[in-house]
Amino acid sequence: MKFVTVFTAVTKNWIRSRSGLFFSILFPVLLLLVFGAIFSGVGGSSQYNLYLQNQDVDNQGQATELSTAFITALNSTKTFYLKTVPSDVNATDYVRDDLGPLGGNMRILIISKGFHEDLLNGTMKVRVGICLDTMNISYQYFEAHMTDQQKLALQEGMTGLQQLNSSLPETQTSITIITDPSDQSGAIISSIIGSVTNAFNYEMIGAQNIITINREDATTKKFGNVDYYVPGITAAFIMTNGIIGLSATATEFKRRGIIKRLSLTPLTKLDWIIGNVLSQALLNLILTAIMIGVGWIIFNVRIIPDALTVALILLGSIMFSGIGMTLSGLFRDVEAASAVGNAIAFPMMFLSGTYFPLDMMPTYLQAVSKALPLTYLSDGLRYAMVYNFPEGVYTNLAIVGALAVAFIILGAFITRWKER
Amino acid sequence: MVASKPVVEVNDLVKQYKTVTAVDGISFQVYEGEIFAFLGPNGAGKTTTVEILELIRPLTSGSAKVLGYDIRHTSDVKEIKRRIGVLPQDFSALDKLTVKENIELIGNMYQKRLPTQEVIKLLDLEDKTKEKFENLSGGLKQRVGVAAALVSDPELIFLDEPTTGLDPKARREVWSVIANLKKLGKTVFLTTHYMEEAQALADRVAIIQKGKISAIGSPQELITEHGGSKTLIIRNAGKPLAETLTKKFKHEILVNGNEDVLIEIPTADEFWDIMSHLTKMRLDKDIEVQTPTIEDVFLKITGGRITEEGELKQ
Repeated sequence: MKFVTVFTAVTKNWIRSRSGLFFSILFPVLLLLVFGAIFSGVGGSSQYNLYLQNQDVDNQGQATELSTAFITALNSTKTFYLKTVPSDVNATDYVRDDLGPLGGNMRILIISKGFHEDLLNGTMKVRVGICLDTMNISYQYFEAHMTDQQKLALQEGMTGLQQLNSSLPETQTSITIITDPSDQSGAIISSIIGSVTNAFNYEMIGAQNIITINREDATTKKFGNVDYYVPGITAAFIMTNGIIGLSATATEFKRRGIIKRLSLTPLTKLDWIIGNVLSQALLNLILTAIMIGVGWIIFNVRIIPDALTVALILLGSIMFSGIGMTLSGLFRDVEAASAVGNAIAFPMMFLSGTYFPLDMMPTYLQAVSKALPLTYLSDGLRYAMVYNFPEGVYTNLAIVGALAVAFIILGAFITRWKER
Repeated sequence: MVASKPVVEVNDLVKQYKTVTAVDGISFQVYEGEIFAFLGPNGAGKTTTVEILELIRPLTSGSAKVLGYDIRHTSDVKEIKRRIGVLPQDFSALDKLTVKENIELIGNMYQKRLPTQEVIKLLDLEDKTKEKFENLSGGLKQRVGVAAALVSDPELIFLDEPTTGLDPKARREVWSVIANLKKLGKTVFLTTHYMEEAQALADRVAIIQKGKISAIGSPQELITEHGGSKTLIIRNAGKPLAETLTKKFKHEILVNGNEDVLIEIPTADEFWDIMSHLTKMRLDKDIEVQTPTIEDVFLKITGGRITEEGELKQ
């Protein structure tokens, strides 16, 4: 039971270290608070700034009826904070001046002169076209059942509509969106304006949606965005606690001869490793509890860890402790171990789907993510804590378990112990 | 005072690192209850020898027994570890743990051990028990290291350079602790590059240089054998007195930079002759007799001195 003594000592040593506490517990909590503040919607939803120039005004400068209706439709999405650009200026120059020397995102929507008139003409032409098309189809389908009188009346009506359609001008109503190519939100803004435009088009021609979209949550409970970040950030910091934290601590112990001193006692290497892994496991359980607690108090998260979550945390702790032990065995210098630990941990943190979905990444990076141990811990915790999908948990648990065994054996093999 | 039972027996011990021979066929014994000092400059092979005996490093050839157990036998390793205490060179402990917790950490590794409080009392650390290790002075840290070495109630304690880097006051505090270990009946194997430490503490001293033992014996034996004669010093007497005494006694008499007259005295009779002559002269000067030290022994044997940092200066 010497590992209990080691566990107690290294845990006390960690708890009393301010920098250790900060990087192991406080930093992940701060990160959760930042992510939560951005994505939870607490404190009001975010809006995109959008400059709007309505050139479709009458002689008195009053906006036309349909351009006003379009702007109202845009406002109804509650997505944009609209800033008006005068109708008689160069919009790009005006916005550049308005943004000032510190710059900002140039996003301009221009409603062209004649929007109202063109839209009316265009709508009329579409409506007439639809009537003509409907009558034509009706004639083809029901010709055999119609009397000669009915056929004649229909043909006269169709001729009249064709004449009306020919008399209407060919118009194309358009709006212009100007965005900066470097603006990451440009595509989202264009997409939202496109949706508003489509809806406006349908409304003008009196069409109704035949296909409607029903949105359902993949989870069994009602979760918010922060619920999805808690498992990811927790997994990421279980990883950094092992790869960066433990490797630095163990290397420091080695450099200062503490490991050598302990190896002069009847303590075995196995006891030393078990004690350290248990300490990491406790640290990570505390981290998880605090993350969920903070999420619960501030962001009203609803996830509740179960036995599978605890199993994943324990196996994840073993896995990353193994990597940390390996690094500390390879390097005598704390700075070198930390540098290599950071070089491994940070790319892994961003390539494992911790902070954003893997689908967003190029295919080759998605393939890389499959080779990273954090991917399986992160996915497993998400399946366990959010999706309530046991099959997904078991698969990831098995992979994390296998990697834990492999890495802890490697760590034990690399750790130098003056033991004969 | 040398006890008869050897607790360390080393025969023709060799440690080879690729092209470097760190320990070159040394043989010696350490006896029960004594303080045995390994004296030598950095790189002489002191720590290598001690670490072989502590089971940290394997030997290349030769043999060694610790407390009667052959260090080459794997089956004896546990027993040796259980019965020795060690203060390694540059001892350190967990910074955020208190003095008591650090001693507990080592103590809990042993089935048979002394109560922590007893060790704390022995090392006079009672008012520091709740102090974190990181807040201790160098001397106190070494005392914690000795406490950790003592907590398993070992028969033999290895102290590897226990006072290196300490200020003179802290060094003397540690000396007091080491002297107390002997009073407790422990055998102490000490390595040092401080001459006065070896002379003040050790019952026997082995001078080691370039992996070989040059001399071994009690400080007095070494001084008698290698230290040379006593020196009579007449302070600030100057050259005229030196010339007078040279004519009278046919001695080579030196004068140092302080105008002190230095007279090497081979026998007691000659000493009293000179003293009688000085009395007749009614000389009004300070007179003292300087006896040779281990430093003189070391100088005679190796032709060099050891600096404060442990380097050999020829």
